[in-house]
Formats: sequence, structure tokens, C-alpha cells
Amino acid sequence: MAASTPPRAGTRPASAATLAQLAELNQRLAWKPAARLQVEGLSIGYSTLRGRFHAVEDISFEVPAGTNLGLVGESGCGKSTVIKALMGLQPANTSVSGRALLDGQDILGLDDRGLRDIRWNSISLITQSAMNSLDPVYTIGDQIAEAIRAHERVSRATAWARAEEMFALVGLPAGRLYEFPHMFSGGMRQRAVIAMALALNAGMLLADEPTTALDPIMQSQIMTRIRGIHAHMRRSMILVTHDIAVVAETCENTVVMYAGKMAESGPTADVLERPLHPYTMGLQNAFPRLPVPGAPRQPLISIPGVVPNLLLPPPGCRFASRCPFATDLCRTTAPPVVRHGAQVATCHHTDRSEEFRAAAARPETWRNMRGAA
Amino acid sequence: MRAYILRRLAQSVLVVWAVTSIMFFMFRVMPADPTAMLLERGLTEEARQALLQEWGLTGTLWDQYVAYLGNILTGDFGSSFLYRKPVWEVLTPLIINTLWIAVPGLLLGAALGAVIGTAVGWAERGGKLERSGIFLATVIRGVPNFVIGIALLTIFSSTLSWFPGFGMGDPGATTGFARYMTLDFLHHLALPLIAVIIYFMPENLLLMRSGVVENRTEDYIELIRAKGVPQRRVAWHAARNSMLPLITWLFPALAETIAGIVVIEIVFSWPGVGRELVLAVTRQDYPVAQAAFFLLAVMIVLANLAADLVYGKLDPRVVYK
Ligand SMILES: Nc1ncnc2c1ncn2[C@@H]1O[C@H](COP(=O)(O)OP(=O)(O)O)[C@@H](O)[C@H]1O
Ligand code: SF4
Ligand SMILES: [Mg+2]
Repeated sequence: MAASTPPRAGTRPASAATLAQLAELNQRLAWKPAARLQVEGLSIGYSTLRGRFHAVEDISFEVPAGTNLGLVGESGCGKSTVIKALMGLQPANTSVSGRALLDGQDILGLDDRGLRDIRWNSISLITQSAMNSLDPVYTIGDQIAEAIRAHERVSRATAWARAEEMFALVGLPAGRLYEFPHMFSGGMRQRAVIAMALALNAGMLLADEPTTALDPIMQSQIMTRIRGIHAHMRRSMILVTHDIAVVAETCENTVVMYAGKMAESGPTADVLERPLHPYTMGLQNAFPRLPVPGAPRQPLISIPGVVPNLLLPPPGCRFASRCPFATDLCRTTAPPVVRHGAQVATCHHTDRSEEFRAAAARPETWRNMRGAA
Repeated sequence: MRAYILRRLAQSVLVVWAVTSIMFFMFRVMPADPTAMLLERGLTEEARQALLQEWGLTGTLWDQYVAYLGNILTGDFGSSFLYRKPVWEVLTPLIINTLWIAVPGLLLGAALGAVIGTAVGWAERGGKLERSGIFLATVIRGVPNFVIGIALLTIFSSTLSWFPGFGMGDPGATTGFARYMTLDFLHHLALPLIAVIIYFMPENLLLMRSGVVENRTEDYIELIRAKGVPQRRVAWHAARNSMLPLITWLFPALAETIAGIVVIEIVFSWPGVGRELVLAVTRQDYPVAQAAFFLLAVMIVLANLAADLVYGKLDPRVVYK
């Protein structure tokens, strides 16, 4: 029958004091500039019962203020590990080295107090909203208000009024702030999580696979909304996804990760149109391209094989066992980081990339790989 | 919701009825004549018959049962064989005495257990606080509670003489309600109350700890941390979610808990209803025993009902059907 705590139908009208405080808060938050993030030589290791390994090794990239960066790669490549380290959320068995400068301030070595200050104020997080990313026993409104009141000295009513505005921004009716997470559909929960991430207008947003849990229609709706909000608010964002098409539409720059290392990075247009790294070429094949009128539909080709065990990484290139162009050099020697203009790739044979691109478009190139490893 | 409560109430009444009926037949089946000890003091046969009549012990078993149920419905449990007073007059002060150690004891035990359990669960895994917390709680839980009581008595009463070890007041103490307001009473209350707290705390502590340990790695806790909320507040979210399993255990465990309190009353000679229940059974004072069991049944049934309702209050996902 009815749930134990019935949701309220609407919201209470805000008092004049609340409205004044809200206007003041909104103004203050609106002044926050977009943030710039420079990650330099980031390495992250986990100690486990089976040994220590690097889930992320020597990653460097930059997110200029007001731009989006796409972080792509198959699952297990270390994307979430990077995001958690940037929020200071790594578990206890983790060691982090390198620097991450958020508007010039290194946020990797911050103590508790310092972390609390930058979290949500300067850098906020959109998680993949599976059922358990929200506290099941608090209303959504309470959870958004909690984030606001952790940083701003405003009344509960003001925080709720701000939460109402955030709900409007993501297209949810204010009355539903009084509901609990289990009363929301997956898509609504995702929008609530986005509303929460926007509540303090942080200069940098980290979105870790924000749409992965949703069905395709909902995925594109949510991505459209994120893009819309983003264009409107001019924040910076790192978008983690394994959907290359989303990156193409959303991000100025792209970093491709493979087995904890940076395979390739650079302006999205360059990386996707003229990939230097065979892994990027493989990823592109695995996703449907935007249909080009008149051109034949590209078949989907997945990259055979799996990401290597990081506890025992191969001596040479980590992609060698799956790369159709691997040579003996690749299997014995770690590849150098090669720069081509704004584009960077970690591969021995970037000079042959044009030849590789032509071959990579053909399904048989990848099919012949089977068993080669 | 209303239908749910009505149905649960009906179930409760049924359970209480079953318990009272079992009590009734159990005490009749026992081959003991409550007038026996009075006979020895030269009771005439007429007087004996009159007593049996008064106690509802004449007629067929069925007649007695019907009369007994009727009396209970009107709240009349008859008169004590021993005290020759209405049962309620005997029990009411004892019930109050029991509440004095049970209510604060259980509340403090649960609260302390929850707070310490949260701290232990939130502490570094494998650290000092975690290990000593679990060790202490496990040891105390393993010790029978009469041992806890006797240990308290030996240390704080016999050896250190800090607290009296017997009863509820020194001889010549004030009587009636005023006696609860005296320092002497509080002095006597301390040890049995502490015994109840120590007895009840470990299970709460351990349940709370495992709940917090489970919850602290959940995604929602990570998101709360990401919001820049102070540690304490993050731990509170984990604790708040861990209360749900605690509540499901707490109330149904009340039957066992009450048994524990009976033992503590006996160890400390605390004149409570539990101690009286045991005495009444050994003295064959059935009306008192029946009423005490009836009270227990009602309490346990109500506790289970309360558990359901409290759970629904704490967990918004609960739907009553
Ligand atoms: N807390 C942890 N302890 C040990 N290994 C971990 C931990 N978290 C993630 N890993 C491992 O690190 C690697 C990278 O994981 P993750 O960053 O989640 O990848 P992605 O987000 O790209 O799918 C995986 O092999 C994963 O099993
Ligand atoms: S270094 Fe060799 S194996 Fe690695 S991606 Fe480049 S070509 Fe393939
Ligand atoms: Mg991930």
C-alpha cells in the first residue's frame, strides 16, 4: 500500500529571508570561474594480498579552464582510479604519486581539512548512479542540502531552495526532492546525482561513466542534458566513458588509457580522426560511428583479447598481445612517448600510423589476431 | 498501514491467549494442592473449601478455564496464595522496581553499544581500537551474566565496599514512592543497573560494528565523503543505515534479554517482577506466576510489533501490507 513516509505533494513557499539568502548564495556561486587542471606524472599503486601493482602509471594531461576532457578505455584500465585519486577518495591500500594542479594548487597531497575544502567547492563528482550511490534512508533533497550546507553557512530552507533550482536545471519537479532514492527510476536518480554535483557550481566536474547504468535512450537524454548544462554554465569537466561517440560530441580533448598507461592523448578531433595508437583505432572500430550519409555502414569490430594482468605486466608494450601491428621490438621494449603536434602517443611505430589506420578499418586485420597472442 | 496494524494486533492477541492458556493448564496439571501448607496449620475442611472457591479451584477444569479467561479479560488475576492479596497489589511495586533497572539499563546498553560499535566499525581496519573493541565485546558476550553480576558484587561490594550488594534500600528506609527519590535508592540501584548495561551492550556493539563496516565501503558513503562533509557526519550516515539490522535484532531478542534481567534481579536480590516470578513458581503461588507470565507474553508481543513499526520509521523502503 502506501510507503511509510508519504512524499509531500508540493513544496512550501519560501520565506522572504530565505529568498534573500538564496539570491545572495546564487550570486556568490555564479562568480566561481571554471577551473584548470594539470595532471603531471600521476602514478597510482594498489597493495593487495597478491602483491603491489600500478593501476595507473605516469599519466599526464591538462584540462584547460572551461573545456571537457574525455577519458576513455576499456573497463579495468584505471579510469576510476584516476578519478578517485583526484577527489582524494582512494582506499587505504593505495599509494599516489605525481601532481595534480587544480588552478595551480596540488590537490594530491592535501590533508583531511584541505580535501574537505576543495571537495564540491572546487571539484565535484557525478558517479554512475546505480541504486546504491545515494543514501537510501535520506530524502534526495536532504542529500543535496547536505552538500550545500557542508560548505556554505546558509539555512536549511535556503539549501533546499537551491536544491529546487538544481532540480529544475536537470528537469525534475521540485516536489520530488522529498522522495527517497528508491522511489526514483534509474534515469531520475542519475539526474538527481547531476543536480547534486552542480549544487555548489564547482569549477571542475568529474563524471565517471555517468550513463553506463542506463538504457541507450536514457543515456543519450542524460548526455544531452549534461552537454546543455555544461555549455550554459561553462564549467570544466573530465568525462569518463568507454563510448567514443560521446567523447566526439562532448570533449575538446581526449585521453585514451590502456592497462594503466596513457596510450594516446590530444585534441579530440585529431585523436579520433587521425589516431596514432593502434588501441585507439581498435576502440573506434568497436563503436558505431555517426552515420555518414551515402557511406556504407561500418561493421562493429571488437578488439580480441583482454587487458593484461597488471600484477605481471608484459615487458614491452602492454598492448602488444592484442595489437595487429606488434613487432618483436614491441614485445621486448616499452614504447616511447611520441609527440606529433598537439597529439601524443605511446607506441614504437607512430610513423606508420597512416598505414595502420587503413589496415585497422578492415575487419580481417583484427580477426587474424585471434590466437596470435 | 491501518489494516497491517490491525492484523498484527489480532495476531498478538492470539499469541497472548495461547500463552495464558498454556500457563493455566500447566499449573493445573502439576499435582500440587496450594492449600496443603495451610492445612498443616490446622485449616478446617470448610475453610479449605471456601479458599478453593475463592481461588477459582472448584468445579471441572473447563469451568475453571472459562472463569479464568473471563477474569483475565477484566484484568483480574485473582489473589496470591501466599500474600493473600490481589495479584496486582503484589506485582505493581515489583514491576516498577524492574522498570528501574530494565528501562535505563537497556536504553543505555543499546546507546553505548551503538556509539562504541560505530567508533569501532569506523576505526582503521585491523587497528588497536578495532581489535580491542571486538575482543572486549566478544569476551563479555561469552560470559554468563550471573558471572558478570557476581564479579561486580565481589569487586565493588564485598572488596571495595563502594556499593551495597543486596536489595533496594537499607532497613528502615522510606517506603512508597518517596523511596525512589533517595540517594540510598540510587546507591542500591547502581550495581544491578551497571550489570544490565554490561550485559546488554556487547551484542549491540558487535551488530553495530559489522553494520558500519559493511556500509562504510558502499558507494553512497563514498559520494557523501566526496561532498566534503566532515568525517563524523559521514560516519553518522553509516551508523544510521546500520541501525536497521540492529532494530530487527533488538526487539525480538527482548525475550532473551528479559530472561537475563531475571538472573540479574536474583543475583542482586533486586525485588523485581522477574525475581518474584521465580519465587512464585517455587512457592506454587500460581496466580502470581500466571500474571507475571502473562505480562511477559504481552511485553514480548508488543516489542515485536514495535520493532516492525520502528523499522518502518527508520527505513523509508519498508511498505506495510
Ligand atoms: N581498491 C582496489 N584494490 C586493488 N585493486 C583495485 C582497487 N580498485 C581497482 N583496482 C584494480 O585496478 C584496476 C583499474 O580499475 P579501475 O580504475 O576501476 O578501472 P576502470 O574504471 O577503468 O574500469 C583494475 O584492475 C581493478 O581491478
Ligand atoms: S608499440 Fe607496438 S604493440 Fe604497442 S601499440 Fe604500438 S605497434 Fe602495437
Ligand atoms: Mg570505472
